[in-house]
Amino acid sequence: MNRLLPWGLTLLLAISPVVLDTYWTDVLNNVGLYAVLALSLNVILGLAGLFHMGHAAFYAVGAYTTAILNTVYGIPVLWTMPLAGLLAGLFAALVARPIIHLRGDYLLIVTIGMVEIVRIALINNIFGITGGANGIFGISRPILFEFKLTKPIHFFYLIWAVVGISAVLFRCLEHSRFGRALRYIKEDETAAAGSGIDVAHHKLLAFTIGAVWAGMTGTLFAAKMTIISPESFTFWESVLLFTIVILGGAGNILGVLLGAFLLIGLPELFRDFAQYRLLVFGAAMVAMMIFRGGGLLPPQPPRYPQAKVSLEERP
Amino acid sequence: MKRCRIWWSCLVLLLVLGAGPALAKTIRLGLMCPLTGSWASEGQDMKQIVELLAKETNKAGGLGGMEVEIITEDDGGDPRQAASAANKLVTKGVVAVIGTYGSSVTEATQSIYDEAGIVQIATGSTAIRLTEKGLPLFLRTSPRDDEQGKVAAKTIQAKGAQKVAILHDNTSYAKGLADETKALLSATGIKVVFFDALTPGERDYNAILTKMKGAGPDFIFFTGYYPEAGLLLKQKKEMGWNVPMMGGDATNNPDLVKIAGPQAAAGFLFLSPPVPADLNTPEAKAFLAAYQQAYGSQPGSVWAVLAGDAYRVLVEAIAKGGSTKGADIAAYLKTKLTNFPGLTGPISFNAKGDRVGDLYRVYQVDATGAFTLLP
Amino acid sequence: MEEFIQQLTNGLAVGGIYALVALGYTMVYGVLKLINFAHGDLFTIGAYLGLTVLTALGLKEHLGPVAGIGVLVIFVMGLVAIIGALLERVAYKPLRHAPRLSAVVSALGASIFFQNAVMLVYGARFQVYPHDLLPKVVVNLFGLEIPLLRIALFVSSLVLMAGLYLFIHKTKIGTAIRAAAIDQGAARLMGINVDRVILLVFCIGPALGGAAGLMVGLYYGQINFTMGWVYGLKAFTAAILGGIGNIPGAMLGGLLLGVIEALGAAYLSIAWKDAFAFGVLILILIVRPTGILGERVAEKV
Repeated sequence: MNRLLPWGLTLLLAISPVVLDTYWTDVLNNVGLYAVLALSLNVILGLAGLFHMGHAAFYAVGAYTTAILNTVYGIPVLWTMPLAGLLAGLFAALVARPIIHLRGDYLLIVTIGMVEIVRIALINNIFGITGGANGIFGISRPILFEFKLTKPIHFFYLIWAVVGISAVLFRCLEHSRFGRALRYIKEDETAAAGSGIDVAHHKLLAFTIGAVWAGMTGTLFAAKMTIISPESFTFWESVLLFTIVILGGAGNILGVLLGAFLLIGLPELFRDFAQYRLLVFGAAMVAMMIFRGGGLLPPQPPRYPQAKVSLEERP
Repeated sequence: MKRCRIWWSCLVLLLVLGAGPALAKTIRLGLMCPLTGSWASEGQDMKQIVELLAKETNKAGGLGGMEVEIITEDDGGDPRQAASAANKLVTKGVVAVIGTYGSSVTEATQSIYDEAGIVQIATGSTAIRLTEKGLPLFLRTSPRDDEQGKVAAKTIQAKGAQKVAILHDNTSYAKGLADETKALLSATGIKVVFFDALTPGERDYNAILTKMKGAGPDFIFFTGYYPEAGLLLKQKKEMGWNVPMMGGDATNNPDLVKIAGPQAAAGFLFLSPPVPADLNTPEAKAFLAAYQQAYGSQPGSVWAVLAGDAYRVLVEAIAKGGSTKGADIAAYLKTKLTNFPGLTGPISFNAKGDRVGDLYRVYQVDATGAFTLLP
Repeated sequence: MEEFIQQLTNGLAVGGIYALVALGYTMVYGVLKLINFAHGDLFTIGAYLGLTVLTALGLKEHLGPVAGIGVLVIFVMGLVAIIGALLERVAYKPLRHAPRLSAVVSALGASIFFQNAVMLVYGARFQVYPHDLLPKVVVNLFGLEIPLLRIALFVSSLVLMAGLYLFIHKTKIGTAIRAAAIDQGAARLMGINVDRVILLVFCIGPALGGAAGLMVGLYYGQINFTMGWVYGLKAFTAAILGGIGNIPGAMLGGLLLGVIEALGAAYLSIAWKDAFAFGVLILILIVRPTGILGERVAEKV
C-alpha cells in the first residue's frame, strides 16, 4: 500500500489538469513553482540548518536575468535558464561569503536585509535595466520543441516536470556524502568541524546550490507571468517560502512538497472567506505548528545498512 | 498510514472544490478588487457599490429577464494573487470583469481575460501603457496618467511656481506621473529642484521634508497616495514651513484631511476626477442617496464610484447590444456608446478603450477641511 | 550644519520608537531565544486600543491632557500585556521543546492573525487620533525650532527604557529574569519559577510595544492595520544591530538605526535609505558578528 501510494499520487497529479478547470490548474502551477523554490531553500534551511529568510532575492535575480535577456536581446526564454541559475548562484556566492560565519538569528536578519536591498534596487531601476516599479513586461512565451506554451495546462506539465526532476536530484544530493556532511553540520557544527568537514565551504556551497535552483525557477516564473515586477519578490515572499519548508518538515522532501500544497493551495480554498481569509490562514499556521511542532512530515533519521555483527554474538 | 490519510484528504478536497459547476440561468459579472492588503478600503467600497447597483438592476427586473450575479474575487492588491483571481473568474463563467484598482495588478490579469475572450473594464488603473498594447477587450472608466500630467503642469504654471519639488513613492503609478510632469515642466522653463521618492507605509517624513526644504522649492508636487500626503502636510505644518503643496489624484480621499488635520490640510491642492460629493447628475444623486441608505456613509473616494460606472456601462452594453459575447460588448462600448450618463459624468470610449473627455479638476481643501472645486 | 543637527533630531525621534519596540524583541529573545515576529502587531494593537480607550472613556475631558494621557498609557500597557501573555500561552508555550524555527513560524502565523483581526475589528481605513489632544508648542533649543511634542516623545521613550533597565538590574524579579536568560535549568534549581518569568517577560515586552504604538498614534496621528509590520522589522533590525538579548544594546541599536536612516535620506538618496540602513547593518555584523554591544545570551554548545 505504502509503496504504491507515491505512484498513485503522481498519476493523479498527472491527469489532474485534464479533470480540473483552468483556475485550479493555475493554482497547481503556483504550487509547483513554490515547491521547486522550497526544495531549493530546503538545501540551505532544512539540510544545512542555515537561517535563511531571503530566498526571494535569488529568485528575483533569475527572473530578471531571463526577462532582460528575452526582452532586450531576444533570446528564447527557456535558453536563458542556465544563465539565470548561474547568475543567481554567483550572486549568492559573493553575498554569502562574508556573512556565512554569522550564527542563527544574525544570519536571518542579514538575509532579510539582502532581500530588501535587492527589492529596493529593482524598484529604483538599478543600472537602468530593471524597469523600476513597472518591472519588465512583454516577456515572450516559451517554446518547447516547436510547441508554444500559452495555457496553464501547458505550463502545468513543464513546471511539474521540473518539480519531479528537482525532487529526484535533491534526494540524491541528500544521500550523497555532501548531503550527509550538511546534516552533520546542522546537528553539531563543532563536531562536524572536528571530523574534518570544512564547515564554511560546505555552507557556502549549500547556499550557492540553493540559489542556482531558485534562479532557474525564476525563469519559469517569468515565462509563466510574462510580466515581472519588484512586488513579486518581497520579503513576504521569502517568509512564505521559509514557512513552507519549516511547516512541511525541514529536511524532508515529501514534507516540503506537502508544505507547498498547504500554504499555496489552502489560501485558495479559503477564498470563500473573503476578508476573513488571511485571519483563518494565520490561525491555521499557529495551529499546525502547535499540533506538529517538528513540521507535518519531519525527516526520518537516515537508515544505513546494518553492520554484519549482531548483538547476540557478543560475549 | 496516518501519513497517507493526510495526502488523500488533501487531494479529495482539491478535486471536490475544483468541480463547482457554472449555471447559466443568470448573467455573471466578475468584480476583481482588493479586499485584503494595503488597498482593502478601496476594494471594500468597490464591492459595496457594485453589489448595490446589481441589487437595483435585479429589483427592476434584471437584465433581459435574467438575474445579474456579481462574483467577487480578492486580488489583494498583488499581481500574483490577481492572476489567480482572474483565472478563478474565468472558470466561473463571467461574461465581463470589472476592476481593478492598481495598475500593475490590472496588468498581471490583462492577458488572462484577453485569452479567455472576456471584456475587462479597469476602474482605478491609470498607467498609460495598459491601453497602448492594443488589447481589443480592455477598457477603463478611469482617466490616464498623461492626461493628469498635463493638468498638473498647467496648474503649477498657473500658480506662478518657479522652483518645484516633485516627490513620488516609487510605485508604478506615482513614478509615471512624476516623470511625466517633470518632462512637461522642464519644457516650460520651470526648474525642478528636488526629485526623489519616499517609502510608503512609514510614519515619520521629517527627514525628507528637512532635505526638501534645503533645496528651497516654492511649490511641492506629491504624486503618491493620501496616507503619506496627509502625514507630509501635518509634519510640514509642524516644521512651520508654509510652502504650497499639490497632490495627484491618489490623494483624493477624505481621510487625507483626517490624517493631516483641517489646519494643516487647508490650502492643499489636488487633481482629481470629481469627488463623490460633487457628482451632481440626477443618476449620481440617486445613487449616493441609495448608498447612504444602504451602508450609512458615503463612498470613500471617486475610484470606487468608477467601478459603479463600469458596472453601469456593462449593463447598458448587454441590454442594448443584446449579446453577452466579449467582442460584441467591447464593440458596443467603443463604437455605439456615446455620452452615456455615468455617475461621474458622460462616458464614451475611444478605439483604444480609454475614456474620452477631460475628467480632471483642480480641488482645494478649505479651512474647514472640505474639498472645494476650483473654477 | 544646522540641517545636519535637524536631521539628527529627526533620526533620534524615530529611533526612540524603534528602541522601545526593539526592547520587546530583545527581552523575549533573551529568555526564550525566540524571535517574536508578532511583536510588531502588538504594537499596532496598542495604537488601536489607545484610540478606543481614549474616545470611549473621554479621558481628556475628565482628567485634562497630562493626567489623561498618563492614565491612558497605563491602561493600554496593561491591555497589551494581557494579549501578550495570552499569545505566549496559546502560540508559544506548546512549542517550548519543538525545534526553534517552528516557534518562528507560529509567530509569523500569529502576526498574520493579529493584523487581519485588527482589520476586521476596526476596518481597513486609516484611523486618526484627535488633533487637538496635545498642545502644539515649538521650543527654541540652541537655535533649532523643535516641536515640544517631539521632545516629549523622545523623553518618554527614554523614561520607559530607563525604568526597564532599573527593573531588570535592581529588583529581585529582574534578577530572576536575568538568571532565566542565562541558564533556565540552573535558574529552576535556584527556585525560580521559569514559567512565570517567561510569562512576565511576555507581559513587559508587549506592554512596551503597546506603549510605543500608543505614542506613535498620539504623535503622528495616523494609524492603520499594517503599520506594525514596518516598525516590527525595523525594531528587529535595531535589536540585532545592538546585540540581541542585550537591553542597552536594543536602545543603542534603535537610536542608531533612526539616525542612520535620517542621515542616509539626507545625504544619499531618500529612495535608497532603507537599503543603506540594511547595508550598514550587514557591514557592522561582518565586523562584529554579535552586534555592537555583543549579546548577553549564554550560548549553549
